Amino acid sequence: MRADMTPILHVRGLARRFGGLQALGGVDLEVARGEFRAIIGPNGAGKSTFFNTITGLIRPDAGSVTFAGRDVTGMAPDDLVRAGMGRTFQITSVFADLSAQENVQVALLAHARQSWRMWARAAALHAERAAELLALVGLAGSEARHAGTLAHGDQKRLELAIALAGEPTLLLLDEPTAGMAAQERIESISLVHRVARALGVSCVFTEHDMAVVFAVATRITVLHQGRVLAEGTPAEVRANPQVQQVYLGESVIAEGVHA
Amino acid sequence: MNRSRTLAVLAALVAAALPAALSDFWIFIAIEVIAFALYAVSFNVLLGYGGMLSFGHAAFFGVGAYAGALMVRKSGFAPEAAFALAPLAAMAAAAAVAAVVGFFSVRRSGIYFGMLTFAFQMLLYTIALKATGLTGGDDGITGLKPPGALARPAVYYVFALATVGPALYVLYRLVNSPFGITLRALKANPRRVQYVGVDVRSHQLAAFVVSGAFAGLAGAVFALSSGNVFPAWLNWTASATPIVMAVLGGVSSFLGPALGAAVYVVLEVVISGRTEYWPLVMGVIILALVLLMPAGLTGLWRRRGAP
Ligand SMILES: Nc1ncnc2c1ncn2[C@@H]1O[C@H](COP(=O)(O)OP(=O)(O)OP(=O)(O)O)[C@@H](O)[C@H]1O
Ligand SMILES: [Mg+2]
Repeated sequence: MRADMTPILHVRGLARRFGGLQALGGVDLEVARGEFRAIIGPNGAGKSTFFNTITGLIRPDAGSVTFAGRDVTGMAPDDLVRAGMGRTFQITSVFADLSAQENVQVALLAHARQSWRMWARAAALHAERAAELLALVGLAGSEARHAGTLAHGDQKRLELAIALAGEPTLLLLDEPTAGMAAQERIESISLVHRVARALGVSCVFTEHDMAVVFAVATRITVLHQGRVLAEGTPAEVRANPQVQQVYLGESVIAEGVHA
Repeated sequence: MNRSRTLAVLAALVAAALPAALSDFWIFIAIEVIAFALYAVSFNVLLGYGGMLSFGHAAFFGVGAYAGALMVRKSGFAPEAAFALAPLAAMAAAAAVAAVVGFFSVRRSGIYFGMLTFAFQMLLYTIALKATGLTGGDDGITGLKPPGALARPAVYYVFALATVGPALYVLYRLVNSPFGITLRALKANPRRVQYVGVDVRSHQLAAFVVSGAFAGLAGAVFALSSGNVFPAWLNWTASATPIVMAVLGGVSSFLGPALGAAVYVVLEVVISGRTEYWPLVMGVIILALVLLMPAGLTGLWRRRGAP
């Protein structure tokens, strides 16, 4: 029981500078298990940099990242993934030359520590589980399609299936609905929400569409110029005058959303 | 995969029947085709599957050739034993060198990876030239002769087939294995593959070592048939050969590079027998083939990606 009380993710003072630009100016974030946390903020606020620094793609200049009670600051991506942290990218990132089925199989093989086997036939391994995961994200029937030929939204869902194949305890989704039509966005985030709930996966996601954010987020963190501007429940964040100022002109946050 | 299998069975049948129909000269050429088929396929495990363009693969072919030759010439074993051990020595030596070269080269990707393999090849070329006591320097090692009946081309041909056939099968299993699919994923998206929990460099290094070992085996099979090894086999110009063969045959099919090797070797023999301008003619033919068939010869009847 005690273990469940430790936050799934605890970031302290995370900082990163690009030349003269302080992309992250010391960010603190604590995410409890089971949360569905949205990170919002205008373009260039540092959301992707925050994700990239947590997930080992970029080295932080300062600060620490604790994942499920374990210090993982600066850990290599493959080690983080094996520790249970999954992620997707703002610009969809799948294995374009492989079939949808193979995309998920690669992840399942790596998760089962089988990527070193040089004699077994890969096609026969984890085929059922791969098909299950594809069905889970709504891609049943597309198993044999080359990932690169899938529609944009389907590639986003495929990337989710790839991330889920690693049985993560925490999912970091960088703009899971980017590039989708408004209706598809809500459907997509609801799917993510459903799946994450069903599997008991905690989730942190960035998002520009406030309708999507308010549809699923349990808490919201607002980043602005590399710093946390506000944090709280959706209602608290919506009522925050500073947040309203940053989003001036984007009336959606003040008015709330009726999606 | 079915096509691959049909092609493989067909190739095996034709290959087995071939010596009966050919003169010794053409049997010798057929042996060259067999050796270079393995060379090109081993090279393509890196390029076509792993997305790594090595500019120095001749180094491993050459190291294998020297190792095989030295085993026969200087090991002091009985001729039969030395000959039997030569392919193993070639693979071991090439694998060891590839482990060192690969260790440094996979730290970079794309053109920088290529440049590192290129630089190591220059180094090994210089060693082959200057370590006269071991390699015979400029003169290379000549006058190698397989023992007993193996000295007859038709018999050596069978030995070459019996060595290269299983080697190709091992590589075929490898590219269709979990390791093989992971390599393809790594080629398709090296950043993404880390985020499914794959350590990129160690997988690249393993592919590099396997590829180098089989290139070394090809080198030994060829050296013991031709009876010579020359340092020029390790020169950088020699590294273009597997690249051209692989691209000619098609990098996205397992046996494409083998077909490319056959076409390349036979073209070279036919054309160089007719004109001293054969490099020019070869160049024009290759240019035409690549322009007309961007996916290589095998691309003509196969439209999907790697098997
Ligand atoms: N690798 C990099 N090198 C230099 N500058 C960078 C790099 N990555 C991000 N930046 C800069 O850091 C700032 C934060 O970028 P980041 O991508 O984290 O913002 P974001 O909040 O994700 O924006 P968006 O909503 O547009 O995705 C931007 O000004 C960006 O130009
Ligand atoms: Mg971003």
